[in-house]
Amino acid sequence: MIGRRLLQKRVWNSGRRWLFPSSLLSPVPAEYCKRHFSTHVLAAFSSPGDNPVNLKIPYTENKCKFFSSIAVAHLSTNGIVDVPLAQTGEGIAECELLKWFVHEGDEIDEFQPLCEVQSDKATIEITSRYKGRVAQVLHVPGSIVKVGETLLKMAVEENRIPLVVLGNLENEKHCDTKLNKDCTGGVLSTPAVRNLAKEHGINIDEVQGSGKDSRVLKEDVLKYAAQKSIIEDPSFTATADLGELFHGETSSSQVSAEVSGHYEDTIVPLRGFQRTMVKTMSMAAKVPHFHYVEEIDCDALAELKASFQTNNSEPGIKFTFLPILIKSLSLALSKYPVVNSCFNEESVEVILRGSHNIGIAMATPCGLVVPNIKNVQSLSILEITKELSRLQQLALDNKLSPDDISGGTITLSNIGAIGGKFGAPIVNLPEVAIIAMGRIQKLPRVADDGDIYSASIMTVNIGADHRVLDGATVARFCNEWKRFIEKPELLMLHMK
Amino acid sequence: MIIPQTRNIGLPMMNLMRFKGLPILQQLQIEEQLLRTSSENWCIINDGTNDPTIVMGVSGKPAELLEIESVLRDQVPVIRRFTGGGTVIVDNGTIFVTFICNKEAVPDLQPYPRPIMSWSSTLYSKVFQGIGDFNLRENDYVFGNHKFGGNAQSITKNKWIHHTSFLWDFDVRNMAYLKLPKRAPAYRSARGHLDFICRLKDYMPRSIFIDKTVEAAGTQFSLRSLKSEAIETCSKTEFCPSTRFLTNEELEAAAVAGQ
Repeated sequence: MIGRRLLQKRVWNSGRRWLFPSSLLSPVPAEYCKRHFSTHVLAAFSSPGDNPVNLKIPYTENKCKFFSSIAVAHLSTNGIVDVPLAQTGEGIAECELLKWFVHEGDEIDEFQPLCEVQSDKATIEITSRYKGRVAQVLHVPGSIVKVGETLLKMAVEENRIPLVVLGNLENEKHCDTKLNKDCTGGVLSTPAVRNLAKEHGINIDEVQGSGKDSRVLKEDVLKYAAQKSIIEDPSFTATADLGELFHGETSSSQVSAEVSGHYEDTIVPLRGFQRTMVKTMSMAAKVPHFHYVEEIDCDALAELKASFQTNNSEPGIKFTFLPILIKSLSLALSKYPVVNSCFNEESVEVILRGSHNIGIAMATPCGLVVPNIKNVQSLSILEITKELSRLQQLALDNKLSPDDISGGTITLSNIGAIGGKFGAPIVNLPEVAIIAMGRIQKLPRVADDGDIYSASIMTVNIGADHRVLDGATVARFCNEWKRFIEKPELLMLHMK
Repeated sequence: MIIPQTRNIGLPMMNLMRFKGLPILQQLQIEEQLLRTSSENWCIINDGTNDPTIVMGVSGKPAELLEIESVLRDQVPVIRRFTGGGTVIVDNGTIFVTFICNKEAVPDLQPYPRPIMSWSSTLYSKVFQGIGDFNLRENDYVFGNHKFGGNAQSITKNKWIHHTSFLWDFDVRNMAYLKLPKRAPAYRSARGHLDFICRLKDYMPRSIFIDKTVEAAGTQFSLRSLKSEAIETCSKTEFCPSTRFLTNEELEAAAVAGQ
């Protein structure tokens, strides 16, 4: 065990500067997600019943989700959006257009069926991603349309682009499909790929996607850049391909290479934030982690949330699980302050932070950011809900301040929103603990009398710095947090 | 079929309707109506249809797919259905099995053609376990490389339908009404109808096949049998299906246009 000295009132910011440089609005690229999904950390932890992390982007998932990525259309200046043929699934290269359900000039709602296409054995209804007006129909029934080719053009007002709410935990078994539809403007791709396109000065809508659902992959952007002579002598990097991590299978990128017929290597120099992430990850990799996994019954949580919603006297407030989880976390941290600490390697000191500044991972147009809610120990659940909403809105608008994103003492990650039972997160230095929450799933449980009943179970994985925390401490801390979640009435016992 | 209660916990409900000898037009129109207007999950089994009927996919071109002269001469009814896929000639030797599901009904199933096709093959793998060399080849159910079941789908905003016609038995003479299709799966390798297809009856008794299919469906859904009167109430609503017979005039016009 490492000897500790308490040093209070010492502002600890230097460790975070590399994450959020002075030009605040630079995006945190999605490589940041590697701290959550690092496969080598996953390999270090194994237990019976371990499930591999499923990292599918939830463009088509219709399950409970914790947060969805933001839709931002890449509009040309006159507000016209190209709507490509998508929603056909992998392995389908082209479809026959059977009929239109709309005409030029029609006003369209989000998710309204636009047309019907046929591929092989299936007729498929293609629905609109946007609310807007049909500006121009580009194909007639009977024509063959390639997947990814523009079907029609729509006039969309910028403030009407569907923006999915960030960071909300919804424990509904069948989520509102609005949250789950692919809602990027123009093309589908991950924040990392968009970032790459931006770095090369490429309009991502011009890139032909070769991935699933015509998704634009990193290779597509690099090939396009090579064609435009932006990059000379392209070659693929040998490092772990983030595109593969996010798409979950390598076959799609192999198929796309075969389809396009390009086999050259591409060199991608890592600059700016990506370069910083290399250093960050290397540093984080040196931290000896251990992971603690627990299942939490969320039935009581669901009831509480429903009660808040039913008895909500303030309009404009949407109640979700997250604020309750955050407040419970803070109460547990009060009992185990070492989990809310920072470690100073040079001086071999642990700073037990007085404030509970709980960071919440959020996906934004510019990538992943982790703003934190300050002083959760002094906030009510309602206040936390409002502050969370404020931060979410700022994140959406890319207007988080340096104060919002620094000073965090512990991080919560909604990995379940993307998929998977649980992740194996890596701590956000200089914090000592990070909690990844998986999807809430309805699972069978066995009662004391042997009856089987169904319960809403969330799996959490706490990643901890083993130089500071030991298994027993994390286990007890987690038990405390779990108690508050499963019996939320206990929160009242500790209220001041 | 009694399923122990504990196994049903968490399984989505599915209405099961069984018919025997229901005219295929009526079956398809019922399916189309359920797909477009019902919010529930359905399994429809039709143990043979009455008269031999040709059923084309939604965009099938008669001139390319049918020997129109023979069809007109022998007055074989031709239907254009609402799902994609190819052309079949069905009769009382054809067993139809249809699944109509909400997009969330099957956990982790993406509502696209291939995933649904794969899901269906895992269901039927349970039915044909240990029997023949059952496989999904491209979009067909085969024993070895002989097709005995053809599939078609339609995917809408919130639901999908996957229906199959199984060749429990067939009349060789009926195959003569169908041309060799231009779009054929690669594994067909230009084989004629009789070298390409096989009969399910050579592998399994009829009632056993239907019972095993219901049993397999019961492992994923909580099945509730509905009487056919329930569907008659359904068909009295305003819905107008697109599945219909092609008229003689249409077939003649197609024959002329195709020359």
